[in-house]
Amino acid sequence: MSGEVRVYGGWRDDLGLRVIPSKRIGKDVYEVFIGPQHPGSGHMRIIIRVDGDVIVEADPDIGYVHRTMEKLGEIRGWIKPIPLFERMAIHDACNITLPYVRAVEKLMGVEAPLRAKYLRVLLCEINRIASHLYGFAIFSIFLGHSTMYMWAMGDREVFIQLAEELTGARLTHSYPIPGGVRRDIPQGFPDMARRAVRYMRKRLEEYRKMFLENPVIRSRLEGVGVIPKNLAAELGLVGPNARGSGIAYDVRIIEPYEVYDELDFEVPVYTEGDALARTYVRVEEIAQSLRIIEQVVDWLEKKPREPIVDESIYKKYPPLHKKILESQGRAKLLPWMATMKVPAGAAIGRGETGRGEIIYYVESDGGVNPYRVRIVTPSARNVIAFKYALPGHRVMDLPAIYGSLDYFPPEADR
Amino acid sequence: MVEARERAEGVVGPRRYEEVLKAARSRAEEALRAVGVSFSIEEGKGFVDLVVDVDSVVRAAEALKAAGFDHVVSVTAVDYPKRKQIKVAYHVTSYLDPEIAGGIVGLAVYLPRASPEMPSLTSVWVSAEFMEREVYEFFGVHFRGHPDLRPLLLVPELAEKHPLRKDFVVREESIYEGVPERVRRG
Amino acid sequence: MAVHEALAAIIGWPPIWQVLIIGFIGSLVVSIFAVWFERKAAARVQRRLGPYWASPRLGGLLHLIADLARYAFQYPIIPRRVDVVPFLAAPIAGLIIALLPLAVIPFTSNPSYWPLPPAAMEYSLLIALAIATLPPIFIIAAGWASNNPFAVIGGVREAFIIVAYELIAILGFLGAAAAVGSFNLVEIVAAQEGFKWLILLNPIAFLAVFIAIVMSTSAFPFEIPESEAEVVAGPFTEYSGILYALNMGGAYMRRFVLAILTVLAFLGGWQPLTPGEGLLWGYILPSIVVVAKAVVIVLAISFLRAVYGRYRLDQALDMAWKILLPLALAGIALGLIEASIGVV
Repeated sequence: MSGEVRVYGGWRDDLGLRVIPSKRIGKDVYEVFIGPQHPGSGHMRIIIRVDGDVIVEADPDIGYVHRTMEKLGEIRGWIKPIPLFERMAIHDACNITLPYVRAVEKLMGVEAPLRAKYLRVLLCEINRIASHLYGFAIFSIFLGHSTMYMWAMGDREVFIQLAEELTGARLTHSYPIPGGVRRDIPQGFPDMARRAVRYMRKRLEEYRKMFLENPVIRSRLEGVGVIPKNLAAELGLVGPNARGSGIAYDVRIIEPYEVYDELDFEVPVYTEGDALARTYVRVEEIAQSLRIIEQVVDWLEKKPREPIVDESIYKKYPPLHKKILESQGRAKLLPWMATMKVPAGAAIGRGETGRGEIIYYVESDGGVNPYRVRIVTPSARNVIAFKYALPGHRVMDLPAIYGSLDYFPPEADR
Repeated sequence: MVEARERAEGVVGPRRYEEVLKAARSRAEEALRAVGVSFSIEEGKGFVDLVVDVDSVVRAAEALKAAGFDHVVSVTAVDYPKRKQIKVAYHVTSYLDPEIAGGIVGLAVYLPRASPEMPSLTSVWVSAEFMEREVYEFFGVHFRGHPDLRPLLLVPELAEKHPLRKDFVVREESIYEGVPERVRRG
Repeated sequence: MAVHEALAAIIGWPPIWQVLIIGFIGSLVVSIFAVWFERKAAARVQRRLGPYWASPRLGGLLHLIADLARYAFQYPIIPRRVDVVPFLAAPIAGLIIALLPLAVIPFTSNPSYWPLPPAAMEYSLLIALAIATLPPIFIIAAGWASNNPFAVIGGVREAFIIVAYELIAILGFLGAAAAVGSFNLVEIVAAQEGFKWLILLNPIAFLAVFIAIVMSTSAFPFEIPESEAEVVAGPFTEYSGILYALNMGGAYMRRFVLAILTVLAFLGGWQPLTPGEGLLWGYILPSIVVVAKAVVIVLAISFLRAVYGRYRLDQALDMAWKILLPLALAGIALGLIEASIGVV
């Protein structure tokens, strides 16, 4: 990688292994508790200690929306965790649940048919755009830019409706199931998708004019919250935050799951590592997701009439369900799935959600419940960035950095 | 400034994950052998766990770090009450080394369930800090030398019960609580 | 003496007309209208409706009245840890003092309706500016009395900002005074006869004054002391009910008063109207013209919300000291040059 990383906020490139210890209170330091009941905190608390207007220490205190996902995952069978896990980030439902489904598929030894894979990718990319737009909206209201907030929230509706058309649910789709997906595309969907793509391309241009090239916004973001490449690697940041720091890492190319290796798309990487770079990564990713949606829709249109669930599962369908699947394209969940047993073993399933890499470690002892489901969400890995990126910045940079990290507390707390 | 951006395509092109995993695995094994740490292998689907002794875990971690595994993706703990053991696995991978980037290798130790204690690896991998706190509250594993070992997600009262251990049973609230199972099922 | 004559005498008495009617009632109406316009204009840019259902035919204008009523009847909580006297006094005193400049500003060239004796009118611009610099002190006091980290940080930010914009505002107005060669607002307006408005002759000074007003009343992009994302509501965090409304309304009223001053100094005051004799033609109509022009400035400031985010504190100060201060000084220089050439 070329491109010099500019270092701001007192960071040195040789930061290396230094761990910042907490509770380092000096003289004349003012302690401010930001959150959890604060318009700019989300469901978390950041305890910052400020010297004058400069943050000297930040201590993220999370867990306010912890929902015991890992424990509940151990007592609810193999299928029910799917709708459970997507509650972590409902606007990113398919991306969040797909890695779990893939881990279970690995253990079961089944594989989704090609058409189901394309359908999964389609919903993943729709979710990714919606997730980025949501993050964008929150980010801009943090910076006081209400117009961008309303635009992004409004345009997110386009993709939510698209997902609704595809799955029947606006947010919590529960779309992928082990061995396939639950629905085929309805008639007229390709046209809708193409319309959404055209619309969003036009809007991205307007975003650029209104927000990204707005002098006030640029002065707030440029050179703020710089995370150099080696620090980002050291902290294990994921997703757009890592790619904004020059790390070319995206699960879609590292471990091309589903059909990502057959699609033509780029992974944008910016080397500056500041808030603006992270913002640009998200905008570029929206554009790339639009490209993917176009390709997937073209493929789906060309090759109709292919199965959307795995052969081994289809064989167990009763005749009525087979009829529904063939006439309406809807794959019903079968009763045996609620109590199915999965061969013993351990598998890691991972995927690239809107906010970065998500990892499921799924262990089975051959029973009706998972023995252990370990979930590491992207926000849970990004939260450490607060501790390292905030010190040295002014208090007014806090919302800019928070927003640019696109941190989502319900996802981090699990 | 944004003109300085680069495309990742070509840097890390699409490739088979199995090859990356194989490369990462052999790299990790070599690194451990070089520092004379004995290990056993546990295979998983999509990753591999190298199980080492608690006493040599810091040396092993330093060797892996030096071999290019620069961050922790997950500190995974699993409770095995029958074997009276808790397994703690540091699943690590690399960002900066394109050859092994993404290949997940686990550095695992088995701890006695009664008094699980091990040295903290936060001084080796900064990214483990919050995850070790999580394992501490959910499993009660004590990490010696952790800079700031306190519960992360749970309130202290709940953290004392170590809810992810298998003997913590989730009591479900119901108005039929106490009614014998046989009566409920009819 | 007939009743209507007595009434005219009361209304025609400048403190009543200017401070009570234009000041309290007028600025209340203008504030409500400005807030409505702000929400409506922003909504148009953001492709939504804004306030609507309270009164569809009026475009939701009644919504704002309802908001005001809600504030008025809300229980004003006074936290136990605040310093009660300054906590209560700050918003009230701030509001009253924000309106006081109106007591010295002339709204007509008819000497019988001047608020000050003709000799004192010579310094009306200076007196008005001097009073206009007072209200921010009460914002700082409000923050300090609240005894809350966010309020204190907000108050300190306000203090930083005052130091920056005050000088610019005063120097900007001096640009107008320099061009005319007088601190008398009546003379400044008279010098702009025939559309020789100072906004055209000295746009640099006007720009400095305009941005200083935006900064002083913490409008976007300088909404820094109350920046929601990190200091909740800044100095007003602990306020609720009518006290909060007074604080927030105070900003709009200050904006309105400063806009009136700007209209007199740069936008030709009551021109194109020539004040004549009698209460109506000599006083009321000219002041309505001035207020109408001031409303345009207030609405223009309101619209900025739809376009900009907010600057960081140090960036705002940077801009004030490095760009606006030289700009204001250039405005004075331009005014002096114009005066010596005799353009004005």
